[in-house]
Amino acid sequence: MKILSFLRGEGSVKEKEIATMAKTSEPIIKYVPTTCPYCGVGCSLYLVVNGGKVVGVEPDKRSPINEGKLCPKGMTCWEPVHSPDRLTKPKIKKNGKFVDATWDEAIDLIAKKFKEISDKNGPKALGFQSSCRTVNEDCYALQKFARVGFLTNNVDNCARICHGPSVAGLSLSFGSGAATNPFEDVLNSDLIVMWGSNAFEAHPLAARRVIQAKKKGIPVIVLDPRYSATARLGDEWIRFNPSTHIALANSIMYWIIKEGLENKAFIAERTKGFDDLKKTVEKYADAEEIHGVPLEKVKDFARKYAKAKNAVIIYCLGITELTTGTDNVRSMGNLALLTGNVGRPGVGVNPLRGQNNVQGACDMGAYPNVYSGYQSCLVPENSAKMEKAWGLKEGSLPNWYGSTLTEQINEAGNPIKAMYFMGLNPVVSYPDSNHVMRQLEKLDFCVMQDIFWNESCEYADVVLPGTCFAEKDGTFTSGERRVNRVRKAVDGPGEAKYDWEIIAMIAKKMGLKGFDWKSAKDVWDDMRACTPNMFGVTYEKMEKPESVHWPCPAIDHPGTPILHVGKFSSADGKGTMFGLEYRPPAEVADAEYPFTLMTGRLIFHYHTRTQTDRAKELHYEVPESYIQINTLDAKKLGIKENEKIKVSSRRGQIETRARISDDVPPGVTYMTMHFHKGANTLTNTALDPLSKMPELKHCAVKIEKIAGAA
Amino acid sequence: MAKKGDMLYAWTNDSDLAKKAECGGAVTELLKYALESKTVDAVLAVTRGVDLYEAVPVIVTNPKDLDNCAGSLHCGTILLSKLVMEYAPDIAGKKIGMVVKGCDMMGVLELAKRNLVNLDNIVMIGVNCGGSVSPVAARKMIREKFGVDPDKVTKEEIDRGQFIIEYEGGHKGIKMDDLEDEGYGRRSNCRRCKVKIPRQADIACGNWGVIGDKAGKATFVEVCSDRGAALLTKAVDAKKLSTEPADPKGIELRAKTEKSMLKLGDKWRERDFSALAPRLWETIGAETARCMKCYACIDHCPVCVTRPDRFEQPALMVRPGFVPADPMFHLRRFAHISDSCINCGQCEECCPSEIPLALFSHAIRTEADKFFEPKLGKPVYTN
Repeated sequence: MKILSFLRGEGSVKEKEIATMAKTSEPIIKYVPTTCPYCGVGCSLYLVVNGGKVVGVEPDKRSPINEGKLCPKGMTCWEPVHSPDRLTKPKIKKNGKFVDATWDEAIDLIAKKFKEISDKNGPKALGFQSSCRTVNEDCYALQKFARVGFLTNNVDNCARICHGPSVAGLSLSFGSGAATNPFEDVLNSDLIVMWGSNAFEAHPLAARRVIQAKKKGIPVIVLDPRYSATARLGDEWIRFNPSTHIALANSIMYWIIKEGLENKAFIAERTKGFDDLKKTVEKYADAEEIHGVPLEKVKDFARKYAKAKNAVIIYCLGITELTTGTDNVRSMGNLALLTGNVGRPGVGVNPLRGQNNVQGACDMGAYPNVYSGYQSCLVPENSAKMEKAWGLKEGSLPNWYGSTLTEQINEAGNPIKAMYFMGLNPVVSYPDSNHVMRQLEKLDFCVMQDIFWNESCEYADVVLPGTCFAEKDGTFTSGERRVNRVRKAVDGPGEAKYDWEIIAMIAKKMGLKGFDWKSAKDVWDDMRACTPNMFGVTYEKMEKPESVHWPCPAIDHPGTPILHVGKFSSADGKGTMFGLEYRPPAEVADAEYPFTLMTGRLIFHYHTRTQTDRAKELHYEVPESYIQINTLDAKKLGIKENEKIKVSSRRGQIETRARISDDVPPGVTYMTMHFHKGANTLTNTALDPLSKMPELKHCAVKIEKIAGAA
Repeated sequence: MAKKGDMLYAWTNDSDLAKKAECGGAVTELLKYALESKTVDAVLAVTRGVDLYEAVPVIVTNPKDLDNCAGSLHCGTILLSKLVMEYAPDIAGKKIGMVVKGCDMMGVLELAKRNLVNLDNIVMIGVNCGGSVSPVAARKMIREKFGVDPDKVTKEEIDRGQFIIEYEGGHKGIKMDDLEDEGYGRRSNCRRCKVKIPRQADIACGNWGVIGDKAGKATFVEVCSDRGAALLTKAVDAKKLSTEPADPKGIELRAKTEKSMLKLGDKWRERDFSALAPRLWETIGAETARCMKCYACIDHCPVCVTRPDRFEQPALMVRPGFVPADPMFHLRRFAHISDSCINCGQCEECCPSEIPLALFSHAIRTEADKFFEPKLGKPVYTN
C-alpha cells in the first residue's frame, strides 16, 4: 500500500527535480505495463516508476485477463523490488564463510567446477533446477545450458511438485498436458465443479471468474475436505475424506453409467477405454466407507454433472500433490470424457497453475524428458533436430529420462556431485526439509541464483544475484497457455544481472556456442526456431494484452484458446478413459501419528515468502505459521485458540500456533506451505510412480501441547 | 478579456494541433500555454496506451509532449485525483495543471478539504463527461452489439446519447439507453453521476453547444474562476487561442444536454437505489462476504488516506489473516467516506470480488446528504 509520506512532512521537496527532468526528458512518472509475478493467472498491471524506482502498482483495466483487478499479492508486488535485502553482488563461500566476489571470479569458479565434475563423473553427476517464477527466457537458457554444456537431461523445474501430475495425466487422457479452456470461459458453462482447488486464495483472479459466473446464475459445486474460502463461495460444498479422489470419482462415474447418463455419441466417436473404465467403476457403487460422501449426494452430483449441457472441472493441487496424483488427474479426465465435456466453450478440465510461469517452465523444456514444446528427448528425430539447431555433434544429446526435482535431491552426493538452482528455495519448499538439508550438504559444489538470500543459500558454494520481474524483459506463460509479456521497469540492484545473461556468461566461459543473446527477445526467438507449437508466438504479437494462447504454429495463426476441438491432441486423435483403482496415501494416520496433515496456500503469501513477507500488509496479515485443528480435537487435547503447540511427523517436528474451527473435520489438520520450519519439515517424500510427485498433501502427524506455552 | 462566467467558443491557432485534437483543441492548447508561460510547472494528463481502449496518465513538463494527450478516450476509466501525491511527491509545492473529469475534480476538492492538496497550486481544466466505459466492456460491446472487431475501430465517441464508433469500412452509432438496458454501456457509477460539467474547475470545456460553422472545430468553454479567466486571456493575448462568444442557441442546447444527462442520472439513481433499499443489510452483508482483502477499494479511493501506523493497532474486529474479510473491514470504510464518497467508481471497478462497493457508498452518501449537515463542510460541487 502506498504511503503518502510527503504529506506528513516525512519526505522532502526536491526543488531542482522538475527542471532536471524537463532537460533529460525522462518522464516524472512512467507506467510500465507488465505481468504480475505471483500465481499462474497472469494478471496484467502497471508498475509506476519515478526516478528509476518502482513506486507503486496501478490497475491495467485494458487487460482481458483481470480488467485492472488484483489480489492482495498483486497489489503489493512492487514492495519487495527495492528491498535493502536484495542480493547485489556474487558471493563465494571461502573457508565456510561467504565473501563478496567479482562476476569474473564467480563465473570462472562455476565454469571450472562444473567442467571438472562433468569430465570426471559424466552427465549424471550434475543437476539443474529451474524456477517456475522466472521468465521463459531464463528457463530456456538454463535447460539449453545443461543439455549443450553437459549433455545431461538432469534438468527439471518446480512444476514437478505442483502440476507434474497434470502434465503427465492430461497428456495420457487428452494428448496435451495443459489446461483445456481459458479462465474466462467458465462464464459459458452451465455447471462449475471445483475439485481440490482453493482458487479464492491461490488463484484469486481465476476465482473472480467463478464469482462472475455465480452472479450470472451458473451453479458452483466445490469438492474439498476443508471448508475453504472457496467452499464458502460455492452453491454447494461436498466434503470428502482427504486423498480419496479416485474412489469418489469412480463412484460418481458408476452412477452416471448406471443411470445411462454417459454421452454415448461422444464416447463412441472421440474416445477409447470406456469398457476398461466401466469394469473398474463397478466396484465403487457405494464407496462411502472410503470417501465419506453419502450415497445420495454422490448420485445427486453424478446427475448434475452428467446432465449439465456444459460442465467444467477446475482442479488444483488437492488433486495432484499425492502419490496417486497422475491417476487423480486422469480421473478428472475420465469424468469429462464420459460426459463429453471437452473441446468446446464452457467445458473442459482446467488445472489452475500455481506459479506465474509454471506452464512456461515446462513449455521451455526445463524438464528431464522433453525439449521445448514437449518434444520428447527419447525420440531420436527430435534429438537430431535439436543437435542441428544447437550446433551439436550428431547423436550427442542424451536419450535417457533425466532425474526429476526431488530425485535429484535424493541423488545428491551419489551420483549427483554438483547442482545449479535458479530461483528456488528447496529447504523450505521441498518435502521433508531435514532430508533436503542433509542431502545438500553432500554436494561437492552448489550454485544458488536468486534475488534474495533465502534459507537454502547457506548450502551453496556460490550465490549469484539475479533480477526480479520488474527488472527484466521476458515472458510468463499463464495457466491458460497465454504468453504474457514482462517488461523491464527499472534496473536491477547493484551488480545483479538478467538470469539468462548469467547462464550465457558461464556457457561462453566454457567456450559453448549458441549463447550470444543480446536481449530476452533473442532468447525467445532462439526457442521459437526449434519449437513448432510456439513458432507463431512472436514478441510483436504479445504487444496487445490479449497476446496469444499456444499452440500457435505459424506467424499468421491466431493461437488456440480452447484445446481438443473436434479432435484430441493425442497421436490417434482420441481421448482415453482409464480404469483406475483407489490407492491410499503412502502414510496414513495411525496410533502413533493420529492426525492427517493436509497442506495448501494462503492468499497473503507466496510460496516461501521471500517476496511477500517483505510487503507490509502481507506480513501484517499472516506473520507466522499456524495449523488448523477441528474444535473437538482441540477440546480433547486441551488446546486453546492461538496456543503454541508442537506438531511432529516421522521426519521432524515444529512449533506452530493452533487455529481452531470446524473448517477441517475431526482427525484432519491443515497447514500452509509458506513457512520455514513449517509444513515441509513434516511432509513426506514418497513419490507418485508416474509423475514423481512427492506426497506434499498428505502425511500423518501427532500434536502435543508445549508445557507452559500460551 | 475573459471573465468568470463567460461562455465562449475557443480553438487553437496551431493548425497541426487542430488536426490532431478534437473540437478545436482548446484544452490541449490552454495546457501547453500554461506550461510555456510557466503558469504551471507540470501537467497531469492522460495519453493513449496500446490502443484507443487504454488510457495512461502522464506528467508532462515539455509543452510539445502534450500533443500526445490531445483527443478523448471514453474508455479511460482512471481517476487522477490522488496520483501526484502518491507517485510524484517531488512535485509538492510546484504548480500543476490537470485535465479533470467531474470525478477527478471532486476527488481533488475532497483532498483539499483534508488539507492533503493545496488548491492554490492546481490549475484544473475541466472536461465535460457523460460517463465512461471500461475498456474490456467496451470491446465486448463493440463485438457483440455493433458486430465490429474492436481491433478495427479507429475512433469512438459519445455524442447526443449515442455511443458511436468509426472503423475500417464505416461508422455506427447505438443509443446509450438501449445499450445500457441490455447490460452494456457506461460504468454503473457514471450512469448515476450528476457532475457532467465540472464547474468547480478553473475552466470547463466540452463539445456540447458548439453549433453553426464552429461545430466540430471549436471547444465550448465556460470560464469558472478568475484564475481560469486570466489563463484564457493570456493565451488569447499570446495568439495561441482564438475565441468568440458562444452562440446563445448553443448555450441553450448545452444546457438542454446537461439537463437531460442529469435527468438520466436521476433515473439510474432511482433504479439502483430502490432496488437496493428493501434488503440493504442482507445485500451488503452477502456481497462483502466475498472480500479477499486486496485493499484496492482503500488504495484507489480518493477520500481514503490510511494511517502510517495502521498495522501496529490492536485488531479487535478485523482479524488479520482471515478471508473473507470480517464485516468491519467494509463497515469502517463506508463510515469513513459516508459524507465524501464522490461515486468515482474506482472501488467497484478494481474489486476482484465483484462487490458493488460504489453503489453502497454512493447510496449512503446520497441519503446522508439529504439528512445531515456534512461534517467537513458543504462541498462546492453537487452530486
